[in-house]
Amino acid sequence: MIRRFVVLFIAVVATIVPMFADDPEIMRPVYSAYMFEAGSSHLAETYLSPLHYDGWTIALAHRRAQAMRFNPLHWHMELGGRVSLDRTLARPARNVVEWRAELELDWSMMHKWRLEKGLKLYAGGFTRADAGVFYLARNGNNPVAAKASWTIGPKVGASYDGRLGRVPVALRYFAEMPLTGIFFSPAYGELYYEIYLGNRRGLVRGAWPGNYFRLDNTLTADFRFGATILRVGYAPRVFSSKTSDIVTRTVSHSFIFGVAQEWTAIGGTKPDTRVQNIISAY
Amino acid sequence: MKKAVVAIITLIAGACHNIPSWENSVEGNFDALWTILDEHYCFFGYKGLDWDEIGREYRAQITSETDARGLFDICSSMLDRLEDGHVNLSSPFAVSYYRKWWSDYPQNFDWRLIQEHYLEFDYTTGGGLSYKELPEGVGYVRYDSFAYSMGESFLDAMFLNLKECPGLILDVRDNGGGDVTRVEQLVSRFLDHRIEAGAICHKTGPGHDEFSEPYKFYYDPQMQHVRWLRKVVVLTNRSTFSAANQFVAIMKTLPNVIVVGDCTGGGDGMPFSSSLPCGWGVRFSASPVYDPMGQLTEWGVEPTEGCRVDMDPEAAFNGKDTILDFAIALLVKDKEKDSALN
Repeated sequence: MIRRFVVLFIAVVATIVPMFADDPEIMRPVYSAYMFEAGSSHLAETYLSPLHYDGWTIALAHRRAQAMRFNPLHWHMELGGRVSLDRTLARPARNVVEWRAELELDWSMMHKWRLEKGLKLYAGGFTRADAGVFYLARNGNNPVAAKASWTIGPKVGASYDGRLGRVPVALRYFAEMPLTGIFFSPAYGELYYEIYLGNRRGLVRGAWPGNYFRLDNTLTADFRFGATILRVGYAPRVFSSKTSDIVTRTVSHSFIFGVAQEWTAIGGTKPDTRVQNIISAY
Repeated sequence: MKKAVVAIITLIAGACHNIPSWENSVEGNFDALWTILDEHYCFFGYKGLDWDEIGREYRAQITSETDARGLFDICSSMLDRLEDGHVNLSSPFAVSYYRKWWSDYPQNFDWRLIQEHYLEFDYTTGGGLSYKELPEGVGYVRYDSFAYSMGESFLDAMFLNLKECPGLILDVRDNGGGDVTRVEQLVSRFLDHRIEAGAICHKTGPGHDEFSEPYKFYYDPQMQHVRWLRKVVVLTNRSTFSAANQFVAIMKTLPNVIVVGDCTGGGDGMPFSSSLPCGWGVRFSASPVYDPMGQLTEWGVEPTEGCRVDMDPEAAFNGKDTILDFAIALLVKDKEKDSALN
């Protein structure tokens, strides 16, 4: 039994490893973007308060994309990190401040279909881990609602490569929605003090779109000026979760400003003359 | 295309879970307050309260003339029916308090009297703690509030400075509570083994009877620090509340501890806060905490049998704290008994 398993394992590894081996004739530059986001935010977190809060959101984000080794023409991956901060006021009184901070990391892999006239379609999957906190200073014993999740789901997109005058422009739209995963939540009236005392039963919940809905949309336009790419965009995001009768909602509309570059690491002192083809992520 | 857009909008709108909302009107804010309490307050069953009836009674007092101050007074009166010192309504112009848990009883404490006639204004203080060895050879420690942090080094020094005393008086009268993690910090100085310190539960839904199973929690002795394993007399009054009430409930179960004074003020529910549409805040008891015997102490912790003592106002006039004197006499009697046995 063990022997059969070892043989099968070796066969699988022998099949997969060549898929990830670098082809010396292909160069896969990294498309790397640094972004600043600013916009409006709407928050509700019923663990802290039944009220809705409106205000602003800002974020710093980094994304890098690269064609995959095993099929660079048709597959690429993206790695992203984003840290955001929201400051909102209670509606309608506007005399109570609620803060929100979040750190997200995500990885995605998508298949690319090249259509005519610079149009491309993308479909694949992503996984995301995030951790954050809602903070309502006025609540003496329950000022904080901690958030954490790990989710997976589909990601789709489309891009169009065109020109605005003499400037090459790439319009891209991506949408991602988690379908399943896990997330953290205390019970309806459970204090974090009880968790501190050691009661950690039921804190990890299974996520599905019925209790954990999130839809992230990103529309960007990349203007290429030589080696530098300027990015502007718009990102509407919707999140709503409900578990143990605790509803958390965030809706934001952010404008994106950023710079991007496409680069590749070249090892050694001499250029690799074997390189025949450069395949970009997008 | 149009159908696809409609489908996407429907999906997003449907996925946003419903959050109840109220108008920012007199009626809307009253209903919000009533509902928040209805769904989160934890002692309706324990206190036998008909919250529906109470809500109807006070909502009927709202008229077209009711302004913000009038609404505040109606809401405060309604909240007073909970008879809970952890319930407050906070507005920009006032904060409501239910005071009868202490105002209907003798205060049984005069810090100035103790400082003047027992400590002679000469005592060591730090981190909310004040202490001195009394002339009778017993240690006296006062802890003002569990809101004040206690340094571990300070506690070590305090117990070492009182090491010649056969017994200790720990005065938590007028201690209105504070940070419950400090209850563990202090109790653990009086333990020689792990104890079951109580249990906590929480509401699992908006129904009045929806509670989780009580979760037992334990305290361990502070093995790396100086501990006090001799006699302890804990002094209490009606203003011993919340975290201090919990401290007394746990200390009372220790074999070397006697509780002397009046019943404590209670405050057994861990508080939670929320907000009304007009921006007012409300605080209320949300998670019941059981004592080590599995009982709720929302109405207070009784002194040890035979140790219920009030301050005699006439004696107080002459500089005598009869509760403190009772405690000193208990420890001196024990000291003499021990000397006789040796």
